[in-house]
Amino acid sequence: MRLSDVMGHAGLSIYAEIALVIFLGVFAAIVIRLVTSKRSEMERRARMPFDEAEPKHDPTVKESDHA
Amino acid sequence: MNEQLESFRYDDAIVRKFLVATFVWGLVGMTVGLIIALQLANPSFNFGLQWTSFGRLRPLHTNAVIFAFAGNAFFCGAYYSTQRLLKARMFSDLLSSLHFWGWQLIIVGAAITLPLGLTQAKEYAELEWPIDIAIAVVWVIFAVNFFGTIARRRERHLYVAIWFYIASIVAVAMLHIFNNLSIPAGPFKSYSIYAGVQDAFMQWWYGHNAVAFVLTTPFLGLMYYFMPKAAERPVYSYRLSILHFWTLVFMYIWAGPHHLHYTALPEWASTLGMIFSVMLWMPSWGGMVNGLLTLRGAWNKVVEDPVLKFFVVAVTAYGMSTFEGPMLSVKSVNALAHYTDWIIAHVHTGALGWNGFLTFGMIYWLMPRVFQAKLYSKKLAEAHFWFATFGMLLYVAAIYSAGLTQGLMWRAFDQTGRLQYPDFIETTMKLIPMYWVRALGGSIYIVGVLLCGYNILRTWMARPKTYEEPVFQAPALARRTPAAAPGTIAAGDPTDLWARFTSVQWHRKWEGLPVTFTVMTVLAVVVASLFEIIPTFLIRSNVPTIASVKPYTPLELAGRDIYVREGCFNCHSQMVRPLRHETERFGEYSKPGEFVYDHPFLWGSRRIGPDLAREGGKYSDIWHLRHMEDPRSITPRSIMPAYPHLLTQRLDMKEIQDHVDAMAMIGVPYGDAVNSAPALAKEQAAGIAATLAEMGAPKNLEDREIVALIAYLQRLGTDIKKPGLTLGEATSGDGR
Repeated sequence: MRLSDVMGHAGLSIYAEIALVIFLGVFAAIVIRLVTSKRSEMERRARMPFDEAEPKHDPTVKESDHA
Repeated sequence: MNEQLESFRYDDAIVRKFLVATFVWGLVGMTVGLIIALQLANPSFNFGLQWTSFGRLRPLHTNAVIFAFAGNAFFCGAYYSTQRLLKARMFSDLLSSLHFWGWQLIIVGAAITLPLGLTQAKEYAELEWPIDIAIAVVWVIFAVNFFGTIARRRERHLYVAIWFYIASIVAVAMLHIFNNLSIPAGPFKSYSIYAGVQDAFMQWWYGHNAVAFVLTTPFLGLMYYFMPKAAERPVYSYRLSILHFWTLVFMYIWAGPHHLHYTALPEWASTLGMIFSVMLWMPSWGGMVNGLLTLRGAWNKVVEDPVLKFFVVAVTAYGMSTFEGPMLSVKSVNALAHYTDWIIAHVHTGALGWNGFLTFGMIYWLMPRVFQAKLYSKKLAEAHFWFATFGMLLYVAAIYSAGLTQGLMWRAFDQTGRLQYPDFIETTMKLIPMYWVRALGGSIYIVGVLLCGYNILRTWMARPKTYEEPVFQAPALARRTPAAAPGTIAAGDPTDLWARFTSVQWHRKWEGLPVTFTVMTVLAVVVASLFEIIPTFLIRSNVPTIASVKPYTPLELAGRDIYVREGCFNCHSQMVRPLRHETERFGEYSKPGEFVYDHPFLWGSRRIGPDLAREGGKYSDIWHLRHMEDPRSITPRSIMPAYPHLLTQRLDMKEIQDHVDAMAMIGVPYGDAVNSAPALAKEQAAGIAATLAEMGAPKNLEDREIVALIAYLQRLGTDIKKPGLTLGEATSGDGR
C-alpha cells in the first residue's frame, strides 16, 4: 500500500474546514487581546519610528559597531 | 539605571546604492513593459527578432518590475528603516555589499537569459536553475545580515515594520525553494519535479504569494515606517497593525487556488482559495484605513508635500486592488475575468499605484537624507506625481475596458444559440484601440519616472564632497525583557493567565524574542501551506489517470521545449474550462488526468490568442508551418509575432536525449526512448517533413525546429480522443 493510498482514505478534504476553524480561533484570540490591551502601551509602540537614537559624539563613551 | 551607552554609525551608503538601482531597474522594467504594450497594439514592434518577441520580453518585464524595481525598493527602504528602528548598524558591511552586487548580478543574468528563451515557464519564476540557486544564496546573505542586525539591536521591541520584513524574508525563501524544485537537463534547462495539476497548484501557491510577500508585506513594512515619518504622526492604530499583520500572514497563503478556478483543479481547493481570498479583503482594508488615518490632522500637508501625495495614492491603490482581488476570486466574477485583460488592469493598479507610488514617495523622502543635499526640485517631484497619476489612470481605464470587452465577447451567444464571435481574432481586433491608449498611459507614467531620475541626478550632484557619518548613541540592550510593572499582574492570581493574555505582555515578549516571533510567522505560513498542499499531492483521486494519456514522444518533447522557449504560454492557455462558451469555442473541457506528464504545466494565465488545449488535429501541418512563418499570411490582422527562425534553426539531437533522460528521471515512463530518443525523433520528423513537402513546403525540413513544434501542437489534446476511451474513465474522480 502506498502513502498516497493511505492519505486518499484518510478523508483529508475535511482539512479545509479544520483550517478555517483554526484560523477563526486565532483571529478571535488576537482581536480579544488587542481590544483589551493597554492604550498607553500601544501608543508608545506606535511612536517607535520617532524614538530614534540621537546623533551625539562623546569621545569618553565606548565605541563599537564600526564607529 | 546601569546602562552602558554605545556609539554606532548607520550605513547609508548601501541605501544610496539600492536607491539608484531601484530607479535604474524601474526605468528598464517599465520601458520593456512599454515595448510589449506596443507589440500588442502593432506586431511590428517585435522587430522581427526572436530575442525581442513578446513571449520572451514579457517575462523580462514582469521579473524586472517585481524583483529588480520592487525588490531593490524593498531593500533600499528596509536597510534604511531597520537600522533606525533597531538602533544598530547593519550586521555586516560585507554582507550588505554582497547582497547588493549579488542581486544586481542576478538581474543582469535574468536580462540576458530571458530574451535568449531560457525559461522554466512558470510565471514570476521563469529564471532557470543556476540563477535560482544564486537567488537562494543571495537571499540567505540578506537574511543573515538582517537577523544578525536584529541580534545586535539596541531596541528590545520590534516595530511592526520589522515584522513585515521578517515575514517577507522567511516566506519568500520557502516559496522560492519549493516552487523551483526541478531536475536539470542542461546548463540552462530544467524540468519541474511536479506535473500538471500539482505543478499548477504549486506555481500559483508561489505566484499568488510572490504578490503577497514581494509586493505586499515588504511594502506594508515600508508604509508603516515611512508614512508616519513623512506625516510626522505615529501610525493611526498600532492594534490594527498587529491584526493586519497576523491575519495577512496567515490568510494570504490560502488564496493561491483562486488563480485556477474552473480549471482541472479539485473543486474543494478552488472553493477554499475563494473563501480565504474574500476574507483577505478585511485585513487589507484594515491596513489601508490604518495608512490613510495616519494622516489625521495632517491633510493640509498633503497639499504641499509631494511625498505625502505619493503615499496617499499608493495606499488608495492598495485599497482598490485589495478589494478587487477578493472580488475577482469569486468564481462567477472569475469566469468572466480570467484569461482577459481585466487581470492585467488589476495587477497594474497594484503595481503602478501601490508599489510604484509608495516607492517614489519613499525615494523623494529619502533623497535629501541619504544624499545629504536639498531635493533638487520639489516642482519636478510634483510634476512626476501628476504624470504618474494621469498615466496610471489612462492605463488602467483602457485595460479595464479591454478586459470587460474581451470577456463579454468570448461568452456572447446569438439568438440561435451559437457563439456570436466565433473567430477569436474578432475579439482581439476590438481591443487594439485600447492597447494604444494603454501604451500612451504607460508612456506618460515613464515620463514621470524620467523626471524622478533627473531629480535624483541633480540632488546627487549637490551632495557634499564627503558624506557625513554622524555617530549615534543608544544604551546596550539589557539581556532580559524588563518585568511587568508591579501590580499589573499579581503573582499567584488565578486570573493570571487571562490577565497576561489580555495585557500586552505576551505579544511584547514575542516581539522581544525575534526567533520565537519568526518561528510563529513561519508556522502561520507553513501550516496554511500544508493544509492545502498535502491533500492535493497525496489524494490520488484528485488526479485520476487516463489510460490513453501517454508521454510526449521525444520529438514532441523537443517541440514542447521550443514552445516554452518562445514563451507561447504567455499568450495561449492550454486549459478549456467547463463553461459552455469555452467548450463551444475550443472543444471538450480539460481533465486533470490529461496533464500527468506535463513538466511543467502550461495552462497559462492569459489569452491574447486562442486556447490550444485541443489544438491537435484542428489544422494541417502546412497550416502550422505557414502560420508560424508569417501569422498574417493566414490571419491578416493577427498580432502574433512571426517565427521564421524555426524554419532555419536545426534541432539538437543530443539535447533531445538529455531532455528525455531528465524527464525519465522524474518518473515519466519513457521506456525504450530513454536509449534511443534521437532515432525516434528523427523517424517522426522525417514523416512530418515528408507530409509538409507533399503540401508544398520546402524539402529537407526534418532536422528543423518547426517540425518538432508542429509535432507537439498536433499532439495537444488528442489523447482523450483516442478510440476505446470511455468518458467515465476520463472524468471520474476529478472533483466535479
